[in-house]
Amino acid sequence: MTGAALTRFDRRKDGSGFRDWAKSAFDAALAQSGLTAGDIDALFVASESDFFHFQLNPASILASELGLVGVAATRCEGGGASGQLAVHAALRAVQSGAARHAVVLGVDPSASSLSGDAIRDLYGFSFDGWTDGMTGLTATALYALSYQAFAKRHGTTMDDLAAVTIQNRGNAGGNPNAHLPRSDSAAAIGQSPVIASPYHRLHCSPLSDGAAALILSAPARVPANRNAAPQIIGAGAASDHMHLSHRADPGDFTAKTMAMARACAAAEISPQDIDLAEIYDAYAGAQLQAISALGLSDDLSNDLSRGVFAPEGRCPINLSGGLMGQGAPVGAIGVAQTATCALILEGRYHAALQPRILPRYAVADTHGGVCTTAAVTILAQGGTAG
Amino acid sequence: MIRHQITLDYALNPGWLGPFVTGLLQGQAIARRCAACAATSFPPVRTCACGSDAGEWVTLPGTATITLRTTGQDGDFALVSFDGATTQSTVKLVDVAADASGGHIIASTGGQPGLCLGARGARNAR
Repeated sequence: MTGAALTRFDRRKDGSGFRDWAKSAFDAALAQSGLTAGDIDALFVASESDFFHFQLNPASILASELGLVGVAATRCEGGGASGQLAVHAALRAVQSGAARHAVVLGVDPSASSLSGDAIRDLYGFSFDGWTDGMTGLTATALYALSYQAFAKRHGTTMDDLAAVTIQNRGNAGGNPNAHLPRSDSAAAIGQSPVIASPYHRLHCSPLSDGAAALILSAPARVPANRNAAPQIIGAGAASDHMHLSHRADPGDFTAKTMAMARACAAAEISPQDIDLAEIYDAYAGAQLQAISALGLSDDLSNDLSRGVFAPEGRCPINLSGGLMGQGAPVGAIGVAQTATCALILEGRYHAALQPRILPRYAVADTHGGVCTTAAVTILAQGGTAG
Repeated sequence: MIRHQITLDYALNPGWLGPFVTGLLQGQAIARRCAACAATSFPPVRTCACGSDAGEWVTLPGTATITLRTTGQDGDFALVSFDGATTQSTVKLVDVAADASGGHIIASTGGQPGLCLGARGARNAR
């Protein structure tokens, strides 16, 4: 992982557009890598929907914008998992020898190009558009039903939802690129409007604009000044039934469990070895479901109350603020999570959030749908594995 | 700022889902029964969990029991079990009392094939 960079995530009001954010993230990642545009063999673009930027072939557009005309340019799409799937595609290109250096670029103008109501309606068609979408089910409603099933079995409470919300948005306070740093009380969270019970507005991640970029390099091609760069040591992806209602337990993120098992097998580690995680917290409850599915806790409520996942805990989760605090430009999310893990493993993250002792292994966890498509990537400090 | 507006008028062919879609518009629960294991899916599944893609269409009674329910600004929705189905379904609740334990499928409104559950007895009233 020779280069990793993120732009600010927010609702842009400065007249800039997705081409600008993509260029900014790419330039910063390339500069960190010590490479030049001529060294790049492949570009993988993650962008969830043509509806956002009104481009049906964004990979070719961005290849031109970034001065990469001639490289193999591919768009990767898997709903919310698009960014992590692009990381995996780039990884395979490098592993296979098809590319010496590959760029992963995630970008979406999820906040500024369409109204919030329009985006909500479009998201309703990101599950099975012909059944759930035509029924009018929203993303929040489907996530709410899934979380209710989870809470019923695991005993998690509204206090747990508030704790996740407060921690993620509190972490975002140390991230100058975050969209939604806030310090709401549990009472204020509970008083925000109910979108789909049990989810109140403040339990939901925002729609954001932004971009993130990575440079992946074959080990033999890593520039000398980047020999200590973090490494990807495992990647896994899986899918679940498109209908929440057809799963054995609608509260389980089974695809995430399968993806994590595949990633851990490749990395030759277990989930208990992970000491840093960026998790797909589209909603507060989804973070709890993910912790369980990834195998990061055998006793969720107890670990939450003991601060295991707090900034000073054994396995800090979403130091960036996660989707809830840092923000959610959909195509950029998985790329940003992986970039964040890389920057922290290397000790280059924002000073207020950088752990004093560098974590050894990190997991970037992303999914699309109600965990219908799951993709996780495991990273290690440079020189420790691989 | 580039301002642009488009209107899209889709004509989506439902393909093998045709009987299911027609049923929703008429207020009938048309499910798929697997020829190999008799599992009955609603919404229908083309390839059963047992691996078979052979099946037949069956009409369920249309009555359902609510398992989980969510309410808020986005509307009223539920996870339900339709009588005769082996899978659950996600539905829009239409005038179903907060303490109701179930309901009956009703014809989707607005020309879209939505899966809507009304109060018990609502079917005849519509």
